[in-house]
Formats: sequence, structure tokens, C-alpha cells
Amino acid sequence: MNRASLQRALAIGFGGALAVFVLLGLVFPGTLAGDFLDILTRESTLSSALRLSVPIAFAALGGIFAEKAGVINIGLEGLLIISAFVGVFATSLLGAGGETLGVSNVWVGFAFAVLASTLLSLLFAVVCIEFRADQIIAGLAIWLIALGLAPFVARVYYGSVNSGSVSSLGTWEIPLLSAIPYVGAVFRSDPSVYFLLVAVPLSWWVLNRTAFGRHVDASGENPRALDTAGVSVRKVRYQGVLLSGVLSGIGGASLSLGLGQFIGTGQTMVNGKGFIAIVAYLFGNYNPIGAFGASLLFAGLEAIQLRLQQVPGYTIPDSLIQTLPFVTVIVVLALVGRTRIPQAAGEYYESGED
Amino acid sequence: MGQMRSQAVRLAGVTKRFPGVLANDDVDLEVGAGTVHALLGENGAGKTTLMNVLYGLYEPNDGAVYVDGEQRRFDSPREAIDAGVGMIHQHFMLVDPMTVAENVTLGYEPQGRFGVDRARAREEVVALADRYGFDIDPGARIEDISVGVQQRVEILKALYRGADVLVLDEPTAVLTPQEVEELFDVFEELTAQGKTILFITHKLGEAMGAAEEITVLRDGRNVGTVPAGDTSREELAELMVGREVLLEIERDPVETGDVVLGVDSLRVRDGRGTERVSDASFAVREGEILGIAGVDGNGQSELIEAITGLRAPESGSVAIDGADVTRASRRAHTDRGMAYVPEDRQERGLVMDLDLVRNAVLGSQHDPAFAANGRIDWAAARAHAAAVIDAYDVRPPDPGARAASLSGGNQQKFVVGRELERDPRVVIASHPTRGVDVGSTEFIHERLLALRREGRAVVLVSSKLDEVRGLSDRLAVMYEGEFVDVIDPGETTEEQLGLLMAGERPDETAERATVSADGGEDTGTETERTGTDDIDGE
Repeated sequence: MNRASLQRALAIGFGGALAVFVLLGLVFPGTLAGDFLDILTRESTLSSALRLSVPIAFAALGGIFAEKAGVINIGLEGLLIISAFVGVFATSLLGAGGETLGVSNVWVGFAFAVLASTLLSLLFAVVCIEFRADQIIAGLAIWLIALGLAPFVARVYYGSVNSGSVSSLGTWEIPLLSAIPYVGAVFRSDPSVYFLLVAVPLSWWVLNRTAFGRHVDASGENPRALDTAGVSVRKVRYQGVLLSGVLSGIGGASLSLGLGQFIGTGQTMVNGKGFIAIVAYLFGNYNPIGAFGASLLFAGLEAIQLRLQQVPGYTIPDSLIQTLPFVTVIVVLALVGRTRIPQAAGEYYESGED
Repeated sequence: MGQMRSQAVRLAGVTKRFPGVLANDDVDLEVGAGTVHALLGENGAGKTTLMNVLYGLYEPNDGAVYVDGEQRRFDSPREAIDAGVGMIHQHFMLVDPMTVAENVTLGYEPQGRFGVDRARAREEVVALADRYGFDIDPGARIEDISVGVQQRVEILKALYRGADVLVLDEPTAVLTPQEVEELFDVFEELTAQGKTILFITHKLGEAMGAAEEITVLRDGRNVGTVPAGDTSREELAELMVGREVLLEIERDPVETGDVVLGVDSLRVRDGRGTERVSDASFAVREGEILGIAGVDGNGQSELIEAITGLRAPESGSVAIDGADVTRASRRAHTDRGMAYVPEDRQERGLVMDLDLVRNAVLGSQHDPAFAANGRIDWAAARAHAAAVIDAYDVRPPDPGARAASLSGGNQQKFVVGRELERDPRVVIASHPTRGVDVGSTEFIHERLLALRREGRAVVLVSSKLDEVRGLSDRLAVMYEGEFVDVIDPGETTEEQLGLLMAGERPDETAERATVSADGGEDTGTETERTGTDDIDGE
């Protein structure tokens, strides 16, 4: 059997199973299928899916800019961790609940978080672009630095790897629109959800409609073409990596400040979202809109998984339910087939070398 | 133009040194405005370096660059572009997933109110293409168009940026003969509209056919500029190489011995399952060169892959000195004395990221001469690499150089040298002189003939008709996976060979050749071209 027909068979099988499951849920409410359908159609599931998608989607957008420019940023996870921590930490330092220069300290903390993530991405950019470091190893280093540093500082300052609580970013509600059933949940969200809804189309526009977007594309595909056209590849790559820092910073800060606390146990509260983000943009084929869709899918599964754990009466082990998003990632990747990776991604480029 | 032709480009005393290498040595060059000028030289003579100096990619150690009579100093390609010099590199500088219009405008995107003004970019590209008579779809993606069209996109790119002087590095290397003709037509159209063209080549025929003036570079020095109408192939070859070059191949008769390579009823399918070789049988004896001629893509590649053990045949057998190796490993083939010059040097001949020392022992890493107790004797490997580099004139002569840093012709020389110096029983040589200059081509031919004299067997596949005709004792013509005929190259005219390659059966050919001299039109032009372009053409 060739690839295409195998993929089609998989798609039909997967889609069919889903349809049967939903049908079962409609006919027999109260069963597992019924509960599943109930969870799926609940307004709170949509709003939590949106909220959960924010860090994934922002990191994915950042990853797109970096990788399209030719630098594979596998350190997105680390950028999320550092910004999640610095957001809460800076707010604590300034005094949670207070104001600095007329701006609520939570938002000042947010700005510091983005700055921290950007600085860490600058370190990554410098070692990759100036010192020809292997991008994968440097990216892993970024992750490990953040994974060690954030809980460490938390332990020193708060006496625990988890931070104390600060006030959260709160919720922005848009009158009238938020009254619409189901989709109204979108208009009663964390501020970060609105940022994301602006950032996704904006990123698409920058990549597809501006000269900078063309240069990013060329820098990852054939940097010599860009160089001989008189555009500095170095500069474009710095811009791409720094953008991944800024965007991941927004994602990480939204994650911790949305909750009002940084949780540093285990893999920290980021818990693999930076790596899921890489899958999301690959799945979305480097298209911001596709990456957002993929982020929403993974976040939606996460939301369903969290809800399923709360449904009483089933003895399905939590750890099995928790695998649901990851199983889906594998199925989805098998269905999507191969993503076209930028040709020169991961390669060091030296201007003038023949 | 007339007598008082101004100079578009002038280089005065340009010298460029790299660590350990003097690439350009006090080179003067003058190119008249509105003319086509060829820069001719062997692989590694410093042609590309000189052009990179002109284009601002390299800074010269000494000397001056004048464009339109004004002295210029280019620190980057951007400055050269702004001064009206455009370069078309040997490896195209195009972004594959982008469209023609996007590539042409890259770095010079017309700005609209909301980002790039795509409609205007398209219009400008179409207008430019129309002006020079290019038939190009601005919305086509680079990865979907042919190499010849891609090259035209490169030319458009330079023109879009306002180039008056176009520098082309080995522009014909990647083109089919038909596309070469079209490119030269483009040259005419461009010069008719006042553009100046400077192109690099190592092919005598092309320099003489397309240029008005030819400058010959040897070992980084300008050894002479001659008008194309006032020179000969022999003179140019001598200027290039620095000694007299035999453009004709001289082959003495040799006694043949036992059968070394026996191929019986071989059938081979390609990766898609299509049968590419149907029932090929032949034997090659000691002291014999069997040539395989044919238009590319008629099963030669698959046949060679099956013989060398790279592809398992459907049926049939391959034997070396009587021992069956049909399904044996590559190593078994090598151990039995088979040397193999692959068709694609970068794909199969070299590991591009390794240096020449490591590349020199590829395939003989287990040979006792280089290895003992599982360890490689790097001193011996280095000495071997140096010997190959020296004998085959590989430039730069540095065993520590990465394979990727060499030009294509020098990579080829190195691969051929490594394989022919294996002390083989049988040599399978696919396009051994592809991309190689006249001097080295002559040397490789001599080496193949020497191996023949020593009683080795050789299978030679080449698309250069003069090469297979001149070297082969017998010549098998392949068409759609079959041997149409096996002929004595001395007894067959080039025209008859052309007809056989086009799939005509031997009896028909004899008839056609006598009845009509301008028989098959398509093959007629093919043989004519290779006729004027013998051993220096690809």
C-alpha cells in the first residue's frame, strides 16, 4: 500500500471512529460517549481551550519566525519558562497589586517577562549566529538553563520552587458579544487571548505580505540568494530569533500571570508546551493560522482531558487520559504527512564563503 | 558602437591571495560595452575568483576595478549591483518555494500601502520579460520550472536591479544543448539592447561560438585576449593549458585477453518499478574499452547501478573474472577489483563535508595499504590523497581541503584519480570527464588508455560522442533500455551513431545514411553540436 492510500485509510478510520463515538454520545447520554459529547459542547471547555492554547500558540508563532529565518529554536520551552517566572517574580518585587509609573505592576511584570525571554533568545542568537554553535544543542541549553534557573531563584526568594500569589491579569469582557451562546466565551477571556487573536493574523501578514517576510523566507531557504540580493542574512536571522523571544515571552507571561502564580515543580507549569508548540507549527506547515489551529486542537484535547478526569464514575486511570493529547499528536502527524522544512534551517551561514 | 567603443568594465592589476594560494595574479581585463566577452580557463584557473572580485564578494589584495571608466570599490554585492554589475552564479541564487516574481524582486520589493505591492511587482517583471523576449510565467514557483528557465529568472533578477553588465559563471554547465542555443540567442538580444556580457567557461567551442572577444586565464594570470574570429581551437587550448593539447584521441591496438566482466540477460527496474534495462548481455575483456553511448535516460544509469552492485537486478547475472557478483555487496565488487567513477560526483563520489584525505580512502578503508587492526593509517591516506591531487592536477593542491570547497571540475578529477589508481581489474566510468577542462580531460583519457594497455577492462558511459568514439574498442548504443547495436566506432560515422541513438535499427540506419544526408533532423543537430565541441564539451 502506498503512502497516500495509507493516509487516506487512516483518515477515514480515525474520522469514522470519532463520528461513531459522537453518534453514540447523542443516542446514549450518560455513557462515556455521552459525557464526552457533553464536555465537548460546554462553553467552559471552549474558554479553557482558548486559554490553554495561548502559550503554545505564541511559542509556535515565535518558532515559525526563527525557523523560517533558518535558525531552529528548540529552546522555546526555556523561553516560556523564563518568562513565566520573571512575570510573577518582577510583579512580586515591585509589589503585587501596586502600580509603577501609573501602570499596574502586573503589566510591568508582563513587560519584564517579555524582556527576559528576549534577552535569553538574544543569547541563543549570538551563540548560533556568531559562534556557529549547533542550533539543537544550543536550544537544549536554553531550555535547561531556564529549567534550572527559574525554580532556583524561586526557592531563594520565595523559599519554595513555587512563587507566592500575585494578582492575575484578570478577564476582559466585551459587552453584547459575550452574551452570544457558546462562542460568547471568546469575548469573556484573559487579555492574552485577545493578544493572540491579533498576533496570529498579524504574523501571517508579516510573513506573507511584507518585504521582511520574504527576507525571512529566503534566509531559511537559500541564504546566499538573499546575501547576493544585498540583504544581510545575519540581520534577518537575528530578527527572526529575537521575535521568537518576544512572542514566547508574551506566551509565558500570559501563562503565569493569568493564574497569578509560578509553579516550579517538575517540568514547571510550562510542562512541555514549548515542545508541543514545535509540533504545532510543523503541523501547521509554518503557517501562523495553521499553527494556531494546531495549538487550539492540542489545547482543546488538554481541556477535555482535564474535564474527563473530573467526571465521576469511571475508573480510567488519569495517566491514561493524560496521554490523549500526545496520542492525537502522533495520529495527526501521520495524517498530515511530511512537512516541508526550510532547506537551510539549522545550517550556519557565513557571508562571502564560496 | 563603431570604432570608439567605450569600456564597460576594466580590471587593472587585480591580485587576490588566499591562504597558501595565489588565485589571481596581476590580472588586466577590458570588456567593451555592448559586447559578449568570454573568460576562458581550466578548472581552478581563477576565473570565478576574478569575477567575485568584480562583484564585491571578495576584496582584492591589489589592483583596481573600473566600471564605465570610473574606479570603483565594492565592499558588498549590493554596491556592485548599484553600480550596474549583475552576477549569475553557477549555482543559482533562487529561493525554490517562491515564485518567479518574488525571486526577481527579492531585496528590491516595491512597497505598497499594505506591505509589498504584489501586483506592481508582477507587472514590472512581465514588462521586463517582454522587453527581452523571455517567455516566463511570473507566478510559477522556481521548483516547478526547468533549469533553463531558472537561469532566465536569474538574468531577469540582474536586469531588474538595473544591471548593465551581466557576469555569468559557467552558464552552460547545467543546460541541455538546446538550452545552450537559446541562451546564446538571449546574449544577442541583450547586447543588441546595449547590455554587456561577460561569461566564464572552460569550453572552447562555446567561447568561440558566443563571444566576440576571449580572455584566457591560466594559473591566475591573463595569458592573452584574442578576438573570437581570429583564433583557433588549438591556439585557445594551448593558451589555456600552457602546452600543446591533443584534441584528437590516439589509440593503439592492444591484444585482448580473458573476459573480465560478464553481463548476461540483465533486466533492471528503477525505483518506480518501470523496466529500464531489458535483457542486456555483454562481455568485456582484458585490454578492452567498451563504450556505451545513448541519449541520457535510456537506461545507462540503471545498467551501471546493477553492474556495480548499487541496484539489485530483476533477473540476469553479473560476473567479475567468472565469479558471480549479481547480488553481492558493493564491498565484494571492490574487493574483486572493480573501480567505479559515479555519474554524480557529489551524490556518490564524495562526502562533501570531509577533507580530501578522508575522501581518498573511501571504499578502500579496509585495504591493508591504509588500514591495520581496524585502524586507518592516516599518514598513508594523506600520502595517497596528495599523490592523486598531484597526478590529476586537483586545485587547490591541499589534501586538507573540504571536498565541498573544490570546484566541480576539480572534484571530478579527484574522484576519477581515486578510482583509476585503485589498481583495478575493471573500471566502470560514468561520464569521467564531466565538467573537466581540456588539459585534464586529455590526461584522464591517457590514463584510461594506459589501463587498457596494462590489460584492464573498461566500461565507459559518456554523452560526449567524440569521447566514446575515440576511446572505445567497441561501442554499444542504448535506446530505451536495449542495446540497439554494438558497433566498431572506427567504422561508423557520427551521423549513423546519432541515428542509432535515436532508436533506429541498424539496417534502417545503413539505408538512411546512404539515401539522405540530412535524415533525422533532431539527431542531426545533436551530432553537429558535439562535433564542434568534442572533448571539452559536456
